[in-house]
Amino acid sequence: MEKERTQVDDIDRSLYDFRYEEKDEDFYRVKEGLTPEIVREISREKNDPDWMLDFRLKSLEIYDSLKVPDWGPDISGLNMDDIVTYVRHKTKMQATWDEVPQDIKDTFEKLGIPEAERTSLAGVGAQYDSELVYHNVKEEVLAQGVIYTDMESALNGEYEDMVREHFMKLVPPTDHKFAALHGAVWSGGSFVYVPPGVKVEIPLQSYFRLNAAGAGQFEHTLIIVSEGADLHFIEGCSAPKYNVANLHAGCVELFVGKNARLRYSTIENWSKNMYNLNTKRALCEEGSTMEWVSGSFGSHVSYLYPMTILKGNDSHCEFTGITFAGAGQNLDTGAKMVHVGERTSSFINTKSISKSGGESTYRSAVVIQNTAKDSKASVSCTSLMLDDRSRSDTIPAMDIRTNQADVGHEAKIGRISDDAVFYLMSRGISEEDAKAMIVSGFADNVSKELPLEYAVEMNNLIQLEMKGAIG
Amino acid sequence: MMRINKIKSPTWNFLKINDTCYDEKITLNGSGRAVVEKIPAGVIIGNESCEGCKGCDIADTGSVRAVKCGMGEEADAFFLKASKESLMIRAKAGRRITEPVNIRYIMENGDSNADRVEIIAEEGSELVVIMDYSSIKYSAGGFLGIQTRIHLAKGARLHLVKVNLLGTGFTCMDDIGVAAEDDAGFELTKLELGSGKCYTGVMVDLKGRKSSFKGDVGYLCLEDKLLDMNYHISHHGRKTVSDLQVKGALRDDSQKTFKGVIDLIHGGKQASGNELEDVLLLSDNVVNKTLPVILCDEDDVEGAHGATIGRLSSDMKFYMQTRGFTEHEAELTVTKAKLNSVRNLIPDDNIHGRIQYFMEEAFKE
Repeated sequence: MEKERTQVDDIDRSLYDFRYEEKDEDFYRVKEGLTPEIVREISREKNDPDWMLDFRLKSLEIYDSLKVPDWGPDISGLNMDDIVTYVRHKTKMQATWDEVPQDIKDTFEKLGIPEAERTSLAGVGAQYDSELVYHNVKEEVLAQGVIYTDMESALNGEYEDMVREHFMKLVPPTDHKFAALHGAVWSGGSFVYVPPGVKVEIPLQSYFRLNAAGAGQFEHTLIIVSEGADLHFIEGCSAPKYNVANLHAGCVELFVGKNARLRYSTIENWSKNMYNLNTKRALCEEGSTMEWVSGSFGSHVSYLYPMTILKGNDSHCEFTGITFAGAGQNLDTGAKMVHVGERTSSFINTKSISKSGGESTYRSAVVIQNTAKDSKASVSCTSLMLDDRSRSDTIPAMDIRTNQADVGHEAKIGRISDDAVFYLMSRGISEEDAKAMIVSGFADNVSKELPLEYAVEMNNLIQLEMKGAIG
Repeated sequence: MMRINKIKSPTWNFLKINDTCYDEKITLNGSGRAVVEKIPAGVIIGNESCEGCKGCDIADTGSVRAVKCGMGEEADAFFLKASKESLMIRAKAGRRITEPVNIRYIMENGDSNADRVEIIAEEGSELVVIMDYSSIKYSAGGFLGIQTRIHLAKGARLHLVKVNLLGTGFTCMDDIGVAAEDDAGFELTKLELGSGKCYTGVMVDLKGRKSSFKGDVGYLCLEDKLLDMNYHISHHGRKTVSDLQVKGALRDDSQKTFKGVIDLIHGGKQASGNELEDVLLLSDNVVNKTLPVILCDEDDVEGAHGATIGRLSSDMKFYMQTRGFTEHEAELTVTKAKLNSVRNLIPDDNIHGRIQYFMEEAFKE
């Protein structure tokens, strides 16, 4: 007999799929494709210093020399000759929402960004296509010496040396093909510097909106958290859906100083025509803590594996993530942990849900180098399959090069356990309520790590209409 | 050059775990042939030249030839070229044979051989096959490659035991492929103790409804030993069950790679796959790579894997030291206990003795 299945609604994308009418003459855009001339044009438009133009052109050479990955989801539908790598609204970045063009402001209003800034954020950067259109930070945060600005201002202003010292040093263009692409055409993103000992009490947020059809977004986020400092940074991203491929190949580089703490939360809700080939990496110094919280809900194809290098002794990293793959999605997500310092520790905890033909892959690597004496690593990943048209894989690798380490790994794939349902029913809970409780609890350890408004949104995304068993 | 042990679901190339490149020249001299020590009643043993002979019971091997092995196509080509004839073992339908078939490869220093073995367990039969590869001298060197293809007909059960006690200078390639029909059961007990370089590929296809696989693997990597294992369990049939337990220890400058894939294939409803690896690291220069994979294309299934990798826990060390063991003795005792838990599954006391002797040689200071 065919088993009844729990119906889990698709993520309601109406919040993100809207698009206001735009006039072409309001935008500057380069031609489709990727050539040295286009790279020079982008660099000229952005008033890059000479060293950055050289860096871009070198990155393009590297891009041309590298092959696409031979191990992940199919990205043959992505044709760089059709992608516009730079689209800019002909307005300058503003520091008040009133000065932002009405159509763009309406977009961010609908996404709730100004409201969030008023109620729960210390600073906001809003990027529309390739450039930031709004950036603001609260006076009290500025007074602490915190620098939060767009990458272009940092590069062309007093922080150029700091940018040059750190830019693409953690993720060199040689890392992979799309890191090289990023090096060639990057635009937008945020630069954050937190001085020693400063604790930023409320989060900073950057929101990335890609509105143009057939375009790419290549923002660069560079965060330096100095010794003893503390920061929570939130990143949100969305786009309306088009029938042509869009590309996101951003890059995030995080430097976490001695005894510092950085939490980096991401809610990724790109449209289902998006190829999300993003690279994120953190370097942790002695005694520091890095926390990743990641929710992956959107994109047609995702390759997303934040990497943490635990260089300093006693540094620690936690990765908490959830992936929800629905119809037409192939989301390949996970994390990489590299232990270098002594007594370093890492913990990966992920959940994934696949439904309606969606494919989700959990992929990770835990590397413990010979120098990482007395280190510990733990990995836990759990996947729920909601129908037999979907797919869920787990591919966790461990490379251990010292005996003075302890590594544990566990993974489970399947449907709701009949024993768990029976246990709850034996306590007087109806079968449907029992199943609802179990599924709601499945993502609980991830949602409780998210900022409140995102946790509520995520729970709304996973609205459950209980009917029979999962499976 | 031969690419072997390629995984179905590759991952990052920087990990150097997706496949293994064997680039040493293999010169076979044909010495070191199989010796079949016991042929119990109900078992037919022959070779390829029997095939097609009128009235020969060993004929009709199409089912076993189609079975895929774990090392992959390049290894298939190597074995086909290297071994002109395969040794064929058939258990007659309905016969429950409790006495094991013992096949020994006694490899002297300089021996170099590659063989193909085909095992067919007919409907309802039960069979135990013990294959051990050993050298008289602990330091003997050479090459031994064995490809074992197995077809288990409906309701058949096979317990295959493989014990590697080759000299430390040997390279061993052990390639296994199994296809199990409805209600068939395959049990593999494998001890990888000898040979300085050891490559193992195991592909188990649980084709039939309620077919099952139980694997118990123990290994010991000392000095500069290299051990490369690739296990792939495909759950094609409904209500299939697999359980793979791998345990071992690494010491000195040894390196080990374990890839284990539970492949829950679409249509294989109510299948259950479980895999567990327990690795004890005894020296600071060892390299351990583990890739336990679950591929799931079906919802009404259960897949689980776990791994624990590390040194002897401080609690265990303390407990042992309160009983008078030094740290070294404690590690030795725990290592032996792990391997003995696999050895004890082998239904042959004679082999137990040889394993014991080998381990004593290996742990000699």
